[in-house]
Amino acid sequence: MVWLSSELMFFAGLFAIYFQLRSVSSELWAEQTGKLNITFAVVNTLILVISSVWCQIGVMKAERGQPARTGKLTEIGKWGMREWYVVTYIFGSVFVAGQVYEYAQLVSENVTLSSDRYGSIFYMATGFHGLHVTGGLIAFLLIIGRTFTTRRYTHTQAVGAVVTSYYWHFVDVVWIALFAVIYLLK
Amino acid sequence: MKVAWRMFIILMIFLLAMVPLYAGWQQKDFGRVPEVAGPIALFISALMMALAGWYLWVTNRKFENLPDDNPEGEISDVEGDYGFFTPSSWWPLALGFSSALAFAGLAVGWWLFMIAFAIGCVALIGWTFEHFKGEHAN
Repeated sequence: MVWLSSELMFFAGLFAIYFQLRSVSSELWAEQTGKLNITFAVVNTLILVISSVWCQIGVMKAERGQPARTGKLTEIGKWGMREWYVVTYIFGSVFVAGQVYEYAQLVSENVTLSSDRYGSIFYMATGFHGLHVTGGLIAFLLIIGRTFTTRRYTHTQAVGAVVTSYYWHFVDVVWIALFAVIYLLK
Repeated sequence: MKVAWRMFIILMIFLLAMVPLYAGWQQKDFGRVPEVAGPIALFISALMMALAGWYLWVTNRKFENLPDDNPEGEISDVEGDYGFFTPSSWWPLALGFSSALAFAGLAVGWWLFMIAFAIGCVALIGWTFEHFKGEHAN
């Protein structure tokens, strides 16, 4: 929790840079924000938000001490924490892939890290967020991997799963704020 | 933890109150808000207090009558198990070394970064699985 607080202040710095630059170069902002693909970003945001829901269902299973599914793969009601975390992982990966696709489009329209102030802060803010999502994905892999090592699902394992979900929700909320600031507040 | 979460919420309210005060002061003196970073930093600091306060509030609801809230309480009242701690481990050292090497690699060259990345993968997996595989498995 202490670490999440320090992470929040790290993103606070990025938000502050964004608004400060925007207030001194509004013409550049008007020009560059026109190049953003809002529809695409909305879909991508929804994917990340939904992944948080899957993650929370996984946490409920972990707290009940159910690491793996008890039924067939098609019986979603009997899924354990592992299946839900795999689904979360897939949704998270799609989000990161979407970000990469969006970067590629923007670079082709001459918005790059070194093109101007807008490009610098856009890639800094979304890029650092993307790195955090990637870190969360690696954490999911390790948590899923751990469930295969023990015969009995221990308290330590459940705590690990819950803590990872805290981090994931945090990253999700930060993205909602970033999305609102970058795409909606033009 | 009743005192703890209330303290954070009070700090949150204070910081929230400071946002319009600070911005308004600039408006009064300059006719505009030339320094935008400050109000945002204050606002997100308030969010940080809300995060800590919310977490302590939720934790407080899970446990009843914690010795922390008893004004007559003694330090020895909170004795007991705090969690599982590794007796000793070399993995964090390896992980720290690989991270340092990776950052050096960004300045030196990608070849060094790739080597550091490989060491980092081994160290990270070794660390997270230390108590789940092999001699310390539980």
